Amino acid sequence: MRRLAYLLKEAITNIRLNQTTTLIAIATTAFTLACFGVFLLLYLNLKGIAGSLESEIKVALYLSDGMPAEGVSALQARLKAEPEVAAVSYVSKQQALADFRTQFPEEHRLLEGLGENPLPASFIVTMAPSFRSSDAVKRWAERHRSLSGVSQVQYSREWIDNLAAIIGYLELAAVAIGAILGAASVTIIASTIRLTLYARRDEIEILRLIGATGPFIKIPYLVEGALLGAAGGILSLGVLKGGFEYFRMHLGAAGRLFSAGPGIGFLPDRLSLLIVGLGLVLGFAGSFVSLIEVGRTKP
Amino acid sequence: MIQLFHVSKYYDRRPALVDVNLVIEKGEFVLVMGPSGAGKTTLLKLLFCAEQPDEGQILVQNRNVARLKAGDLPYLRRTMGFVFQDFKLLPKKNVFENVALPLVVQGCSAFDVKRKVMDALKAVGVEYRKDSRPAMLSAGEQQRVCIARAIVNGPVILLADEPTGNMDPELASEIIELLKAINARGTTVVVATHNRQVMQQVGRRVITLSQGRIMADERQA
Repeated sequence: MRRLAYLLKEAITNIRLNQTTTLIAIATTAFTLACFGVFLLLYLNLKGIAGSLESEIKVALYLSDGMPAEGVSALQARLKAEPEVAAVSYVSKQQALADFRTQFPEEHRLLEGLGENPLPASFIVTMAPSFRSSDAVKRWAERHRSLSGVSQVQYSREWIDNLAAIIGYLELAAVAIGAILGAASVTIIASTIRLTLYARRDEIEILRLIGATGPFIKIPYLVEGALLGAAGGILSLGVLKGGFEYFRMHLGAAGRLFSAGPGIGFLPDRLSLLIVGLGLVLGFAGSFVSLIEVGRTKP
Repeated sequence: MIQLFHVSKYYDRRPALVDVNLVIEKGEFVLVMGPSGAGKTTLLKLLFCAEQPDEGQILVQNRNVARLKAGDLPYLRRTMGFVFQDFKLLPKKNVFENVALPLVVQGCSAFDVKRKVMDALKAVGVEYRKDSRPAMLSAGEQQRVCIARAIVNGPVILLADEPTGNMDPELASEIIELLKAINARGTTVVVATHNRQVMQQVGRRVITLSQGRIMADERQA
């Protein structure tokens, strides 16, 4: 117990006595983790926006002319009951014409020349979240193409494929950039701890000569690295939060663009804790890496 | 207590010790004499397991140091004390904390640490300096603190490398008297020095090294 208290006291004393090195280590860790945090924020918000755009994935089932009202009701009830379907809205022939006139006010004369309303009635189906992949939408569309009363099924396959690819690339980039920044953090913290070890090589030699075991010598440095890493993590969160609020306040027109979607948000508590924990783990790993060299030196 | 069989040590192919055979019995006071570069410090480093021999075997307290596992080395060192010419005190710790270090490393209770540290400081006569930092002490006081740290856990062997180096004769004499008092309590003491005044003052066994070889091993009356 006395030894544990001594080791913790040593770690805290090291930090207190080596303020410049400590500040450099915390600042560099905070910078690295903040870079990672910025990327995480971008990833989460873009994924959120992509998710909201996914809800725009809709399939149009065009109905044959002359389909009786009972048939329309029965088909609507059937579609609503399917697990792949989140919502169904019916667009009558008249509604379709009205929509066309609203959307293309210059072109409505084209339809007047045809006499009878040529636009078909349709069901606009919003797919359930777990069935919005390209394959799931394709399978569902194929199954409904042959339904009685359905003349045509349409959806934008290209749009769905592009969206899936963008989300896939984002996830891949998240893993790659996270790994690169993680390795950078370990290297930076290892270099900082190495500087501390170099400055205190006489002390380490004395500890060895008086019979200190390897863990007794190393634990204060491991604790020191973990504390520095965690402090860097907390500082990076502060920087990220400040930068995020500034960005949100000065977003202007871009902010209004996003306001139609889910809105931009800061890291959830779980991920904020993860960044502090990541700092702690990276700090510990950095110390561990530099202490491997201590183990290799003479007895 | 200490046995060396055909021990050689080389640094970059240059011999530091060559075919050294030596037996030091329990309770002896041994002076290792010789000019700079004779191999005195190398001999002490081998005894303290800070270096490994390139040839030969070394037994310290009946344990072959060449075959000692890395994890067992700290425990062997806890039975030994070491006095350095440059003191090697931690500058950011006070005298009490410096002397307490070997006890803290062993996990002694706070009560035992306080009692043993004060006993050691009294034995070397610097208990009044217990709260001072090393930089505030004279060279003689720093060497006394170094000796206190070496004896605080009651070692069976005390190794001293040029403990009177850079000291005036009066101060050197005080340090040697201190080491003789420690030896009188049963601790085996091995001192490496090139100071002939020390040899006259101790008047015990003297081993003379030259170019890494034992040139003489004399026991004085």
